[in-house]
Amino acid sequence: MSTITLAKALNDGLRASMEGDAKVVVMGEDVGKLGGVFRVTDGLQKDFGEDRVIDTPLSESGIIGTAVGLAMRGYRPVCEIQFDGFVYPAYDQIVSQVAKLHFRSGGRLPMPIVIRIPFGGGIGAVEHHSESPEAQFAHTAGLKVVACSNAADAYWMIQQAIACDDPVVFLEPKRRYWEKANLDREAAPAPLLSSKVVRDGTDVTVLAYGPMVKTCLESAIAAAEGGTSIEVIDLRTLSPLDLEPVYASVRRTGRVVVVHEAVVNLGIGAEVAARITEQCFYALEAPVLRVGGFDTPYPPSRIEEEYLPDLDRVLDAVDRSLAY
Amino acid sequence: MTLKEFKLPDVGEGLTEAEIVGWRVKPGDTVRVNDIVVEIETAKSLVELPCPYAGTVADLLVAEGETVLVGTPIIAVAPEGADVPSPQPAAEAGADVPSPQPAAEAGVDEAAAALAAQPSAPDDVAGDGVVEAGLIGGAAPGGRTSVLVGYGPRTTEAKRRPRKGAAAPDGGPLTPSPEGPAGRVLAKPPVRKLAKDLGVDLLAVTPSGLGGVITRSDVEALAGAPSPRAGTPPGTSAAPVRPGGETRIPVKGVRKMTAEAMVRSAFTAPHVTEWLTLDVTRMVELVERLKADREFADVRVSPLLVVAKAVCLAVRRTPELNATWDESAQEIVVKHGVNLGIAAATPRGLVVPNIVGADAMGLHDLAAALGELVGIARDGRTQPAQMAGGTFTITNVGVFGVDAGTPILNPGETGILALGSVSRRPWVVDGPDGEQVVPRWVTTLALSFDHRVVDGAQGSRFLADVGRLLSDPATAMLY
Repeated sequence: MSTITLAKALNDGLRASMEGDAKVVVMGEDVGKLGGVFRVTDGLQKDFGEDRVIDTPLSESGIIGTAVGLAMRGYRPVCEIQFDGFVYPAYDQIVSQVAKLHFRSGGRLPMPIVIRIPFGGGIGAVEHHSESPEAQFAHTAGLKVVACSNAADAYWMIQQAIACDDPVVFLEPKRRYWEKANLDREAAPAPLLSSKVVRDGTDVTVLAYGPMVKTCLESAIAAAEGGTSIEVIDLRTLSPLDLEPVYASVRRTGRVVVVHEAVVNLGIGAEVAARITEQCFYALEAPVLRVGGFDTPYPPSRIEEEYLPDLDRVLDAVDRSLAY
Repeated sequence: MTLKEFKLPDVGEGLTEAEIVGWRVKPGDTVRVNDIVVEIETAKSLVELPCPYAGTVADLLVAEGETVLVGTPIIAVAPEGADVPSPQPAAEAGADVPSPQPAAEAGVDEAAAALAAQPSAPDDVAGDGVVEAGLIGGAAPGGRTSVLVGYGPRTTEAKRRPRKGAAAPDGGPLTPSPEGPAGRVLAKPPVRKLAKDLGVDLLAVTPSGLGGVITRSDVEALAGAPSPRAGTPPGTSAAPVRPGGETRIPVKGVRKMTAEAMVRSAFTAPHVTEWLTLDVTRMVELVERLKADREFADVRVSPLLVVAKAVCLAVRRTPELNATWDESAQEIVVKHGVNLGIAAATPRGLVVPNIVGADAMGLHDLAAALGELVGIARDGRTQPAQMAGGTFTITNVGVFGVDAGTPILNPGETGILALGSVSRRPWVVDGPDGEQVVPRWVTTLALSFDHRVVDGAQGSRFLADVGRLLSDPATAMLY
């Protein structure tokens, strides 16, 4: 058992995967000599060499295209997209090749590629550095999309994603990189594609993933002082969704709020709301409410705190749900 | 500053009080003339009130749920251009907004507070990932963490901003809009499930929730005994059920109106009720034939329609049934047209809107008028004017599966006809081989009349006429 930051947990997880499988290669902008702008790949090039930890040119399309070729030849590339907003040049490679090759080749060419994307806002960065594009990937069949929210999950999920034979878009909550948590390296991890109840409650079920999990946990603490008991579920996997624990929770509470930084319109919350309505209709005491970013491009960082869902926005939604 | 006060008006003949059901505006809102500002429930109906003034809402003078007398000021509006006191002290709003760049001292306090509240705050990064202050992952001014790109993430606290009033956050509705789809009732899914399980027709339930929403206890009240449910979802409003307990329901709105009207009628007009059980097979055949008729494809044809027509016809022979007793003038006032009232069980209780000039209508127009009237009533949108001026009433208790009843007159009217359920019953008929018992469509009519106005002779003739028209609709040719 040790206390570790989320960034360091990812670093340890990557190291463990590279030690365990010589076919694992890490590639991306500044991942080698610099160790990544968030230091997630810090020290890996020194220990595994320039052939396995590759500093690429500034071309996201090239990074993913190269990874597709490596995967065809049996490698397990782990690509870092430096920031969420940089992924779009690679979007065609991801959607047209990474997601489809296994299917197109009749199962002969698996694509065990991990695409790591630090995502979300809250670090006061400039344009293109704070986006939440998860729905665009979750909407693409053939990709798995997961998001870690804490150091312990990050350590296990990155290794499980690398071990997965399907392509995985791996979302890292960049503003939580320095949050610390206890990590038990001996414990058996939860399956990669599973959601998890992270706080028990009885009045309202709040669903979140990535950076919003901590926000929701803080909301639950604040709500408990006011006598409202919030159950928080970390979705962890966005495609496929693992909603059985969610349904079980909703059948007890009758009220749900889905929270993400991404804009509400056509976000993950919309799909979650639809499925809950289908599966738990007679248990719903209130409509499924969504809390998310406003339907605008991500704003300049000076006003990002007005844009990002926070504890108050979450609790306002909880109040609205309870008012029905 | 001169505030204009809007006094509760009388929205229907001589109403004296109304309940404020819901405000549509709050202090500080700008209103224009004729903007809907409030919804009130009078003894007869839900009514939306338009504002007669333009300006800014200064104050709501009556709380939701309160019942006030007509003439009571309910809202104060500051005319355009006048100063309005802010509903919230300005200082409160500004106090908790974090300054983007706090003064050095404040920044230190904030960071210290964050440290105290958050054992895992990033400032104490150590252990596996040792980072020095000023480096990536280290502490930065304003409770932030140093990053390569950007100002760095800020520490947050599990503390909520002070609430500002009870207004719906994010502009979302605190209560659902009372306007459901036509003919539908408002109820949450679990309440619908409960009603289904208990065999309760939601259309027959009187809603007690805000905005006309049917609650769990409304359904349980109608189902008789509240069902003891294992595992009632938490946060629901179902009252705990104790053996021998009781539920106290405030008498207001439609319930209060109905109670007053029934007491007035029952203890003023001496009621006589007459019964007639008859074979209505031919009427049922007529209904089936009309249903298949293309001219009637756009309207609803039911036994009630034929009964309504029969009443209009029978009144021609016995107009005294379409009359009123004028106590002060000591006169019987026989009306020349039939304003035919139809008693309707609605989500808001019993209402009796009427079809003006029903006797002058052809069957198709009557069917259309009947359909519209019932639809509006079930939506709870019947307006007071539609319930005034009735001259005769039909109550179709048969839809509840009962044989008939002794109806109480709508106050001011002389006759009311109850229609029982139309069902298959054994009936003696003359056949080619003499009398035999065969299954026929049979119903029971019950007519109550005001014995001050008419005697048994007229009442009986009227009821017999209606009966003959139903058992042999062809006799309508005789009128």
